[in-house]
Amino acid sequence: MTEVMISLRRSPRKLLERDGHPGPGPGSMAVVMARAGVGKTAFLVGVGLDAMLAGQKVLHISLDGSVDKVRAWYDDILMAMLTTDKKLEHATDIQLAVERRRHIHTYQGDTFTVERLRDAVTMLRDVMHFEPEVILVDDMEVVDRDTTAAIKEVAKEAGAELWMTCQIFRDGPQGEAGHLPPPVDQIEDLTDLAFRLDSYETKNRLHVLKDRDQMLDEDLHILLDPQTHLVTVALGT
Amino acid sequence: MSKDLQRIRNIGISAHIDSGKTTLTERILFYAQKIHAIHDVKGKDGVGATMDHMELERERGITITSASTYVEWKDHHLNVIDTPGHVDFTIEVERALRVLDGAILVLCSVAGVQSQSITVDRQMRRYNVPRIAFINKCDRTGANPERVTAALRDKLNHNAVLMQIPIGLEADFEGVVDLVDMKALYFRGDNGETVEEGPIPAELQEQAEAARSTMLDAASMFSDELLEAALEDAATPEMIYEAVRQGVLSLDLTPVLIGSAYKNKGVQPLLDAVNSYLPSPTDVPIEAVDLDNDNEKVTLTSDADKQTIAYAFKLEDGRYGQLTFVRVYQGTLTKGDTVYRASTGKKIKIGRLVRIHANSMEDIVTASAGDIVGLFGIDCHSGETFLGDGPRLAMTSMHVPDPVISLSVNPVDSKAQTNMSKALQRFTKEDPTFRVRLDIESGETIISGMGELHLEVYVERMKREYAAEVETGAPQVAYREAISRRADFDYVHKKQTGGSGQYARVIGSIEPLETGDYEFVNEVKGGNIPTEYIPACDKGFQSSLEKGRLIGFPVVGVKATLTDGNSHAVDSSDMAFMVASRAAFRQAYQRAKPQILEPIMKVEVEGPSEFQGAIYRTLMQRRGNVLGSTEDGGFARVEAAVPLAEMFGYSTTLRSETQGKAEFTMEFLKYGPAPSDVTEELRKEYGGQITEEDD
Repeated sequence: MTEVMISLRRSPRKLLERDGHPGPGPGSMAVVMARAGVGKTAFLVGVGLDAMLAGQKVLHISLDGSVDKVRAWYDDILMAMLTTDKKLEHATDIQLAVERRRHIHTYQGDTFTVERLRDAVTMLRDVMHFEPEVILVDDMEVVDRDTTAAIKEVAKEAGAELWMTCQIFRDGPQGEAGHLPPPVDQIEDLTDLAFRLDSYETKNRLHVLKDRDQMLDEDLHILLDPQTHLVTVALGT
Repeated sequence: MSKDLQRIRNIGISAHIDSGKTTLTERILFYAQKIHAIHDVKGKDGVGATMDHMELERERGITITSASTYVEWKDHHLNVIDTPGHVDFTIEVERALRVLDGAILVLCSVAGVQSQSITVDRQMRRYNVPRIAFINKCDRTGANPERVTAALRDKLNHNAVLMQIPIGLEADFEGVVDLVDMKALYFRGDNGETVEEGPIPAELQEQAEAARSTMLDAASMFSDELLEAALEDAATPEMIYEAVRQGVLSLDLTPVLIGSAYKNKGVQPLLDAVNSYLPSPTDVPIEAVDLDNDNEKVTLTSDADKQTIAYAFKLEDGRYGQLTFVRVYQGTLTKGDTVYRASTGKKIKIGRLVRIHANSMEDIVTASAGDIVGLFGIDCHSGETFLGDGPRLAMTSMHVPDPVISLSVNPVDSKAQTNMSKALQRFTKEDPTFRVRLDIESGETIISGMGELHLEVYVERMKREYAAEVETGAPQVAYREAISRRADFDYVHKKQTGGSGQYARVIGSIEPLETGDYEFVNEVKGGNIPTEYIPACDKGFQSSLEKGRLIGFPVVGVKATLTDGNSHAVDSSDMAFMVASRAAFRQAYQRAKPQILEPIMKVEVEGPSEFQGAIYRTLMQRRGNVLGSTEDGGFARVEAAVPLAEMFGYSTTLRSETQGKAEFTMEFLKYGPAPSDVTEELRKEYGGQITEEDD
C-alpha cells in the first residue's frame, strides 16, 4: 500500500522538490497567494494530500468552513488522483490511511485566536497522540503580522511546517519591485517560501516568488488543473 | 372551514432534539384555539404536551412518532405534522417530509445550527421542501439570532434573511420588530395571546432600518417590481410578501423569524409567515409514476375532480383498529367510496374518514386534494398509494436505509408470544426501517433497526401497548463479509449412489464488485454448460452469499463469472449445478482474501469547549477515527467515524465524562473493513456457528 501511495503523489509539491524548492521544513512557513477563485484551497489540499501520501500527519485549519466541506475537498481530489492513476481498487484503504493522518479543525464565525489554536494542537498531541508534521491554514481573510508570527510560533513549537493561503488583489497598490505583493509584503520576513498562482488560459500556473533568502519571480512551468490542482503539464520537462 | 386549495398549508416542524418544536406546536394549537390550555413538555402539571400523545414520549420528553393535527389560522387551513428530533427516528421525519408542502425549521437561539438540524435540512432538500426558519428560545442566556442566521448561511447554505429583529434578548426579550410593516410587536396576556402593535423603540430604529434594507435587497432578487419600488423607497408589504414567497417557493430564500415559544412570544407572526410564504398544494409540482408504463413520471394536479390519488405515509394502531394517515394528492376521498391499492390492485372501501388532532379526531365525509386525513378499517403498509378509477399510478417510493443493528426478543410466556406477534406485525407495517426475522438455527425472533434507541423504544412499546413481556438479548451488529481480491475456481461435482448420478463442472472466478451486492456474468461458450443450467449456477452462487465463511454474515460485493464447465447427458441437473456452484464459491472464497465489514457510524458530539479533550478521549477509546472538530463560540463539535459495535452504552460514558453537558447524534456512514484483532475476536465469537451443513 505504501508503494501505491507514494506513486500517487501528483501534487506540485513533488515537482517543487524536484526543481530544487523543497517544502519549508519544520518551523518554517510557505505562503500561497492568488486572486479570489483561482484555487488556493485546492492547492493547499493538494499539499496536504501529498504530505499524507508520503506518510506525514497533517493538521488542516479552516477559518471559514465546515469539517464536511473541507473533507469533501480532500475526497474529491484524492478520487481524481486515484481515477487518473487507475488505482480505484485501493480507494477504501488509501482513504482510510489518509483519514488517520489528517485532522481538520475549523472555526465558525470569529472564534479563531492563536491561543485557541495552540490549545487545539496541545490537545491533539496529549489526548489523541496526533503530532502534526504539516499545518495548513486556509481562509485567513486579514493578513495580520502579529497573528501570522504567532501561528508560525505554534507550528515551530509543534515541529511542523506551515502552509498558509493569502488573497491578493488585481486592483489596489501593487507594492514595491523586489518585494512580495500587498498584503503579503507585511509578512515577507516571516515567509520562507512564497508562491503565486495565476490563471493561465484554462489552467493555473505556478510561480515561485521567494525561496528562503532569495527573492525570485520564477515561472515553474507547472500547469495545474483548476479543479483538482493536480499537475496536468509540467512544461519543458 | 376554508377549503380553497390556495388557503391550505401542509407543513412540518422539524429540528434538532430539544430545540422546542413540541412546545412550539403546543402554542400553535393554543393560539389557533384548538386547545384551551397549555401543557408543557415535562411540565409540572404532569399532562405533557398535546402532540406528544404516546405515553413513552411524555415520559422521555421527546417526540417519537409524528402526530398530525390541523388548525385554522386567519382563514387558512393548516395541517401540521409534528416530527421527531432524534436521528434514530429519521424515517418518521422522511415520511412526514414526503407529504409536506413546506416546513418550519426550528433552531435554538443559543445552540444554533446543530448536527440534527443539518440532517433534517438535508432531508428537506432531498424532498425539495420550501422552508422558513424560526429561531426559538430567544429568552435564553446566550441567545444570538444574528449568529444563528449567519450559521444558516454558512453551515446550511441557506440564503437566510431576518424578517424581524428582537426587542431585547435573553431575560430582557420583550418582543420583535416586524421589518415588513416596520412596527414593534409585543405579546400580552397570561399566555401571550394578545399581539400588541407599537412604534419601533427609538434605540432600535437605526438597526431596524439597516436590517430592513438587507431584507429588501434579498427579497428584491425575486421581484423586479419590488426592486424598482425599493429604489424609490415605495415598497409595500404586499410586494415584499409576494417577493419573499417567490424566493421561498424556489428554495432560494429562507425568511427567518424569531421568538420564544416557551415564553409565548413570536408564535402568531410565525403563523402569519406560514400563510404568507409557505406554498399551498397547488404551488408544488407533484409527480407520480405510472406502474403500467415503465414507471414513467406523471404530473398530478390538485384537482378534486380528477382520478383519486392518496398516499399512506403513516400507520398507527388505535382503539378502532389501524389508523392510516393519508395525503390526498389528486381527486377526492369520500366515505363509502371504493379505491384500489396500487401495489396489488385490491379494492378497498373507505369505511371511516377522520381529521386528526393529536389523539382525538373528528369524523368527516370527504377529503379532497391537498388534505391530510386519517382512514380507519384499511389494512395496508405505509408507503401505499390508493387510487380511484384510472391508470395504475404510485407516488414515488421513499428512501429507506437498511437496518444496522439487531436484537433477539423472547416472549416470557405464550400470552406474551401472541401479543408480541401482533405488536411486531404492527411495527413493521408502520416503520420500514424496523425489520423482523426468525433465526432458524436458534428459533429466536430477531428485530433490526437503525440504532440502540430505535429498538429500545419498540421493546418498550411491546410491553406497554401490547402487554408483551419480552426478554432481549445483547444487541448484535449487522456485519458483512466481502472478498478483497480475485480468485479462480474449477470444481467438479460428481456423485454416484445408485440410480442416476449427479455431475456438474464449473470453471470461472469471483472478484470484488465496486458497486452493488452481486453480479453474475455468463461467459460460457460452445454450450459446455447447457443454457438451461446457467440459472442454477447463478442461484448456487447467490445462495452462497447468504452466509459468509468467516462469521456467517451475508457476503456483499461479489462478481461471479462463469467461463467454462462440463455437463453429462444423463447425470447433470439443476441441482447438480447448484451444488457445484456453491462448492466452487467455497473453494475460491478463502483464496479471495475475505474480510469482515462492520457498520461505521458518523458520530457528532457537541459540548462546551472545556470538554473537548474528554470528548476526544471517549471517541478514541471506542476505536473512533476523529474526522475533525469545530469551535463555535464556547462550544466544540467533534465529528468521528466510529464502529457501531463500539457505540453501545456511549450515552452513559459521555454523560459521565462531560457532566451531562455534551450530546451526540449518530447515523450510518458506511461499511468498513474490521481490523485484524477485531476480526479474530469475531471469528472466535461467531466462527463456531459455521457448520459443515453450511457447505
